[in-house]
Amino acid sequence: MTGDYKFDTLSLHAGFTPDERHGSAAVPIHQTTSYVFKNSEHAAALYNLEIGGHLYSRISNPTVAVLEQRVAALDEGIGAVATSSGMAALFVTVLALCSAGDHIVSSSQMYGANINLFQHTLSRYGITTTFVAPNDPEAFAEAIQPNTKMVFGEVIGNPGLDIMDITRVGKIANDAGVPLVIDATFNTPYLLKPLKNGANIVIHSLTKWMGGHGVALGGIVVDGGNFDWGQNDRFPTLTESHFGFQGVNLYEEFGPAAFINRVRTEGMYNVGPCLSPTNAFHLMQGIETLSLRMDRHIENTKKMLAFLSSHESISWIKHPTLPEHPDYEVAKRLMPKGAGSVIACGLKGGREAGQSFIESVQVASHLANVGDAKTLVIHPGSTTQSHLSPEAMKAAGLTDDMLRISVGLEDFDDLKSDFEQALKRASKARS
Amino acid sequence: MKININNEVIFASTGGRAFEIKGHPLWFIHGSGQSHLSFILQGRFFANRGWPVISADMPSHGLSSGAPLATIEAMSDWQIALMDELGIEKVQIIGHSQGGLIGLDMAYRYPDRVSQLSLVATALSIPVNSNLIEMAKNKEQSAIDAMIDWGHGPEGHNHDNTMPGQNHLNFGVQLMAANKLGALHADLKACVDYTNGHIAADNISCPSQIIIAQKDKMTPMKFGLKAAEALNTNNITVIENAGHMLPSEHPEEVNRALRTFFTKS
Repeated sequence: MTGDYKFDTLSLHAGFTPDERHGSAAVPIHQTTSYVFKNSEHAAALYNLEIGGHLYSRISNPTVAVLEQRVAALDEGIGAVATSSGMAALFVTVLALCSAGDHIVSSSQMYGANINLFQHTLSRYGITTTFVAPNDPEAFAEAIQPNTKMVFGEVIGNPGLDIMDITRVGKIANDAGVPLVIDATFNTPYLLKPLKNGANIVIHSLTKWMGGHGVALGGIVVDGGNFDWGQNDRFPTLTESHFGFQGVNLYEEFGPAAFINRVRTEGMYNVGPCLSPTNAFHLMQGIETLSLRMDRHIENTKKMLAFLSSHESISWIKHPTLPEHPDYEVAKRLMPKGAGSVIACGLKGGREAGQSFIESVQVASHLANVGDAKTLVIHPGSTTQSHLSPEAMKAAGLTDDMLRISVGLEDFDDLKSDFEQALKRASKARS
Repeated sequence: MKININNEVIFASTGGRAFEIKGHPLWFIHGSGQSHLSFILQGRFFANRGWPVISADMPSHGLSSGAPLATIEAMSDWQIALMDELGIEKVQIIGHSQGGLIGLDMAYRYPDRVSQLSLVATALSIPVNSNLIEMAKNKEQSAIDAMIDWGHGPEGHNHDNTMPGQNHLNFGVQLMAANKLGALHADLKACVDYTNGHIAADNISCPSQIIIAQKDKMTPMKFGLKAAEALNTNNITVIENAGHMLPSEHPEEVNRALRTFFTKS
């Protein structure tokens, strides 16, 4: 440790120093597109990355920078770039590392949009992906090819809740000269810091638990600075002349920060999925209470697991903290405080019962999100995946009877009552 | 750029611009366990303004190979060998911390090769704590963590950075961890063993400058002021609220001070 402040202090203060002129205690929202240059030399210096500061809010913004510095501190990274969404964070990461003809090894059980990006979008641009089971580390080793530029996965898979042993997969990837990129949305740095446990780059959808209130979209890429991009010739985007930046070799010029500088000077400059400063402000309001909320999420999740496990309407239940979960031991080792607050369970009565349950809850909200302070429920079989046959659902790791519950912060007695009445209605629907 | 010195390939940053000898190049010398990355924002600032810049990784540091050098004098000799290899007659030195000791020694023993000397967060001697030296030998990561903690001022510890989204402390840890094992221990030992700072300062005749970090815990302000006295210079800049790693934490103030001191050809 570097004598750094503790997690809760960083959540409140990291990255922000009140300015001398106004002394605003809260991080101001710099709602501006551009910044007035002091003179021509100042403008040139900003473009040349000789001095700190901001040019144009697509590339950086003072409010967004505080968020970036705060999350980098919480994740113990060397730097971060915030984006308009978690998907944008993944895309600019791929953009910084991969070109046509390159290859990715990825978990097969993760958020559908991540899968779609790799399987259908990137493949159109000549970047191919081999999908492997997240809880089979050796499968990652076998899938790595000479043109593999990144290994990717989620610590807690969405929605199947499989756990990737990132310590083992990280070592396998690094031994092969490839970085491990982790989507840490479901764990947040409070439950697990992937950069200290085998990962080299972390992305988050800040929309979820980090922001935690369902009011602002956002994403972020955090660079661990712990991968030697010059150890082989796999990463020409970082170790050869960068077209967008005076032909500079980012690895030589910025060392451990080569990757995150590429993200900003290419991903944000050329593509531009920037985060709005107002969203950054809202997300920081959430981060200020991250540990408090996560503790309550975990506490309510334990209670919900106990309640549902013994309920007659529930045919199966899945969460990484349950001993019968296949990745229970890995989850316990990686995330001793708890393995997130999403529960998957099966409802007796299949699609009809699921639909009835979803339409009957009153405290919980029926919507397509996770990680809100409020409890959220969805029945993929009657909503997001209703167009799929039972066979196609199975192939996607889903079942017709599956409910996904993102446990919120409500008084658990109220949640329990709400679920009891909705399960009773669902039971009637199946009979 | 990569250069062959004593049969080892070493790396020297030129500030992101092609290097061309014009007058006396700016010659940056990094501190213990550091590399050219200590001076990213100084190298880029001056190179983009047309100054010839060299900021070399010493053996075992950054992107340079070779065994670490054991004494400040050996480090000075190595810097001179690099100047010879590049065909440079004289340089204007910016030495940070241990790099300042090397600069002092170069200006003392090779007076014809140094035209100006700027010492940044340094002193005439750097008496490193024996526990830290021991730690650097046996538990290097702990020594790195301690130095990153002591080396940074309020901005670093509050994770506030002039460069958007960047983190001083964690970058510093990775910068030092990227050096070869043993480099930090050799550096700290060399600092302790160097006792010629006062003699060097008494005999240096080239113009000199002292840049001091007000909140420097590693080479406290009073030692910088003593160095200024010994060098008989009144070109002193004290950067308020700054810690030892002021080139990265307070780049604009450092660049401003350097710019007023050095001569551009």
